[in-house]
Formats: sequence, structure tokens, C-alpha cells
Amino acid sequence: MKRYEMIVIGAGPAGLSAAIEAAQSGLEVVVFDENEWPGGQLFKQIHKFFGSREHQARTRGVKIGQNLLEAARGIGVKVVLGATVLGIYKNKEIAVRLEGEVRNCKADAIVIATGASENMMTFDGWTLPGVMGAGAAQTLMNLHGVRPGKKILMVGSGNVGLVVSFQLKQAGCDVVAVVDAAARIGGYGVHAAKLARTGVPFYTSHTVVKAVGAEKVEGAVIAEVGADFTPIPGTEMPLDIDTVCIAVGLSPMSQLADNAGAELVYDPAKGGYVAALTDEGETSVKGLFCAGDVAGIEEASSAMIQGKIAAAAAARDLGYITAADFETKAFGYKESLAKIRAGMFAPGNKGRTDIVQTDEGYPLSESLLARGFLSDAEAAAFPAAGIGGGGGGPRPVIECTQNIPCDPCQDVCPKGCILVGDNITALPQIAGEKACSGCALCVGACSGQAIFLVNETYEDGYGTVGLPYEFVPLPQKGDKGRALGRDGGELCGAEVVEVRAGAAMDKTPMVVMKVPVSEIARARFFRPESEGGI
Amino acid sequence: MRIEKHPIIDDYGKGRLVCFSYNGDEAMGYEGEPVAAALKAMGVDTHRYTVKRHEPRGIFCAIGRCTDCVMIVDGVPNVRTCMTPLAEGMAVETQDGLRKAGEAHEAL
Repeated sequence: MKRYEMIVIGAGPAGLSAAIEAAQSGLEVVVFDENEWPGGQLFKQIHKFFGSREHQARTRGVKIGQNLLEAARGIGVKVVLGATVLGIYKNKEIAVRLEGEVRNCKADAIVIATGASENMMTFDGWTLPGVMGAGAAQTLMNLHGVRPGKKILMVGSGNVGLVVSFQLKQAGCDVVAVVDAAARIGGYGVHAAKLARTGVPFYTSHTVVKAVGAEKVEGAVIAEVGADFTPIPGTEMPLDIDTVCIAVGLSPMSQLADNAGAELVYDPAKGGYVAALTDEGETSVKGLFCAGDVAGIEEASSAMIQGKIAAAAAARDLGYITAADFETKAFGYKESLAKIRAGMFAPGNKGRTDIVQTDEGYPLSESLLARGFLSDAEAAAFPAAGIGGGGGGPRPVIECTQNIPCDPCQDVCPKGCILVGDNITALPQIAGEKACSGCALCVGACSGQAIFLVNETYEDGYGTVGLPYEFVPLPQKGDKGRALGRDGGELCGAEVVEVRAGAAMDKTPMVVMKVPVSEIARARFFRPESEGGI
Repeated sequence: MRIEKHPIIDDYGKGRLVCFSYNGDEAMGYEGEPVAAALKAMGVDTHRYTVKRHEPRGIFCAIGRCTDCVMIVDGVPNVRTCMTPLAEGMAVETQDGLRKAGEAHEAL
């Protein structure tokens, strides 16, 4: 029987990070993944990640996946695809199905990094072709270049629902509505806001009642829900859609940990049953670790760090690194993990509805939570989002109003105009005395697409608003169209006077539109005349 | 239904365009992409009908978990089309219960 020093199950962010860490310490590592493609869900994540530089913030998930794969291959990690781990026996022996046959192999340490599966919900018509997981839609469009449908209803407003909705728009689909049974949008406000300003309506306290159609989805009915989350009769509303995407959470795939005899605990904050883990990620079975979503639903950024901690602990236990070396590594990793686990959306705050203000004491935007966009009055109240008091020339307006772990704006500004501080969940502030050069790096770097470059003194009576625009076709200088507000409603005529799309923007071009000065505090999106829509 | 131009993704790394058959008709898709993706691009939504109630089913999870998208591929039933790479000359057929569409089978 083949024996490895470490077997990693799952070639996603946690698994690959664990494998790289272990190989760096000198272990012989193999990674098994049942898929034909490595990277787990990373290659579907075409958006820029949050966090700090150490978490690869403002790097797109797909690029992080490529980097991990290259690093793994570079250091001699063996990644075996199409290899389904069927079970884990005593003494860390596993059965893996590969090329139609089942083989057994053994390891001194095992890291389970099997990730999570999508939760589903049932309703009339939920089995019709055209109802699918949000992850399925993401797989079709981002991996395979095929639109899942034309007109989409998204069910669920957590980060998955919001991010996939935006990606559906990028793929050229029409997102007709985002519904959520909760009264508040579950994901980051900035993710909701970048959808809302393109005109996507949010229906909180609503659910899908049924999907209609004989052979496939030809429409759906949504309805408002009461406090008990059941539909209120008389509030039904038909929607003209052909696809329903379900994004109602993820569940850890703990089956292998269970099968191996590890003690499981039920933890709603982690998404369901997970192995009971030490702070090094070790289960109750010595030498068996869990990392990533299988240990509790979080972001890929924390999964990568968890993988490293587990692998470092295994390397120590197997004598490859000293206890002191481990402590040094683990200290750094845990600090990094704590940074990204902070803020309003931290794992410990999951499901909380009682957070009413930011750490700084600003009242949270109720409009953002309920409808996906800041009201004009609310926007003005935040430290970096207000207009007015500015002199001539461009300056950033940052509509970042919730404590999320992220600081690329501060990181990229060459003039030091933007201050977040060491606590990366703090709201950004504008350093009043520093002069913005109008370089637009912050517009491209903001993973939430929440930064606008505003100039009140463009020409007599007119100002400009520079906005992130990740759609095709990219408007060109001279294009005319309409300026849209934060709610996606048309405000006024607008003309594109500049487009910044250089490599430094990393595919988040800035479109600068000229609007009357009276509208620059409200105009946040551009709809080309030629399209009448995206 | 294919995405011609995307703001972020320049290249989907598709293989060459190949012919396959869908319920006996000639069809085209890219070699190596999942059969399900090729069918979706053609506008095919129904992959199979259920055994007991004869209800249509299509792509649901797209990552090989749910088995809703199974079809008869090269004569083999219950093949997960979301996980099966398309190959030239492949014969893909709608699955009716446990058999081919139109082929009678005994009540289970």
C-alpha cells in the first residue's frame, strides 16, 4: 500500500494551501480531488477578494487559484484529479476511487478540505429544469462560458446570492429580482449596492412561492412573508423569468470526518454539523485535520489560512518543524485569520439582526439593508461618502458604510488620501489635507466597487463622477447616456468624458461621466443611450 | 446562450469544436467541456424524465452531486452530464426513467 506523509482531500483553497505549507516543511504530500478541475470553487470566483494585502485582497479568486496551483506544482505537490475519496479507515488509511478502481493508501496526517455543498429549498416547481443552485449558474457561466438563462430570479441575498447576481449581469443575463425571506440583506452592503445601481430590485421579507412551467421554468411567483417566514396571502407577485437560482446558504461536507470517527458538533453559526476542532484544526482523531468550509462556512481567504495552520501543526507533530517554529508560524497565521474574521459579518455575528451601528457609531443604513442602496441622505452622513466641503479637482467618495475586513483603498493610494488604519474593518476616511491626484487606483482596487472619483469643478455648471464599470461593452469617450442613482433610477443625461482601463485597474475600468453639479452627489452609474440597459 | 464577450474572462480555454449527436440529431460543442454545458448552449433544458411521475429534470447543481442531469451517453444510462467531458462522436440521449425516451419499461 502506498504511504504518504500527508494526504489532503480536496484541491480547493484550504487543501492547496495546506499541501503547499506541508511541502515547504519537507513532507511528501498528495492531494486527491474528485473533480476534473482543481481549485475547488476558486476558478468561478471572478471578483476581487476582500481582506488585506496578506490575504491577497483585490486579487480575483481565479488568479488566487492559479497562484496556488503554480505554487503547489512548483514545490512538488502531487495533485490527483478525478480521485474520489470514498472513506477513511482506522489508522489514517483511505480508500480512493481512481480510473474506475478503488485503491487504498495511508498517511501520517490527513487534511480534510472537502468544502461545502449548497443548501436547497423546496417550493412548487422547484424540480423544473431552470431551477438551479447559484453555484450551478456560476459554474456554467464562469467556467464554461454558457449563460444559465436570460431572465433570472435570485433567491437569497447572502454574499453568494449577491456575487452571483452581479456575475450574471456581467455574463449578459437580466437579474429580474433578488428575494430574501429575511428582513435584511444578508451579504455585504457594497455587493448589494453595486447591483442595485444597475437597476436590480431587492425584495426583502419575500420568498419564492412557486416556479411555473410545464417542461421548464417559464415564470415564478414571489410573495411577502410574515414574521413566521410564511407567505402572506394576497401579496403574490408574478415575475417574468426563465431561471431561478437558489442561494440559501452552504453546509459543510463533514461526511469523511464523520466516517473517520471524528467527534462532530452541530453549530448553526458554522452551517451545520462540523468536526469538533482544536485551534490548530485537528479533529478528535489524532493526525486528522479539517480546514476550510468543511470546518465551518467562511470565505476562501480564511480557508487558505486554516489550511496552513493545519499543515504546520501536522509538520510539527511529524517532526519536520520544531515546536518553536510552529509557534512562530501559527502566531502569524492566527493573527491574519483574526483580522479577516473581524467586523459585522464575522462568523460569530452570523444571523444577528441587532447590529444597528458601525464600530465608529454611525447608524447603519436601513435603506441599504432593506433595499440594497444607501439613501441620498444616509450616504452624506458617512465619513468618506459625503459631498461638499471639497475644493476643486477630483477626490474619492467612498460609499463603504459597514465594518467589513478590507483595506486595499488605503493600500493603493499613492498620496495617502485614504485612511483605514491597522484595524481593517474600520470605515475608510479621507485625509483632508492630502491632495488626490485623480489616479483612480482606489476605484479599481475597491473589491466592493464602492469608490467614486468626484470632481465638482469640471466645467461651468458641470462636474464629473468616475465610477467602476465591469461590464461589456465598455463605454467610450463621447458616449452619451443616462446617469443612474444608487437605486438604479434614471437621474439625468450624462456624457462619458474619460475611461481609464489600464492594467493597473485590473479589469475594473473607471468610466468618468459628466453630469450637472446638482447631480454629482447622486449619480452613481452610467447607462449608455445605445443600450437602454445593460 | 454562449457568452461571446465577458468583461473579466478573456478565454474559457475551450477545446476544438466537435460534432456529437443529441437524440440522433447532429449537434456541436467544444471538446472537453461538460456535456451539460454544450446542451445548455444549444438551449436544451430537459435532460431526463423521472421514473414514477415522468417529470422533467435538468441541470441543478452542475458539480456532480445531485444526479439530476443524468442522461444516456454512448448507450450508458445515468451518466452525470455536468461531469462528463464532451468527446467527438458522442451519442447523448434523453433518459426516460431508467431507459431511453420512447422505450417502454416495466413499472418499478
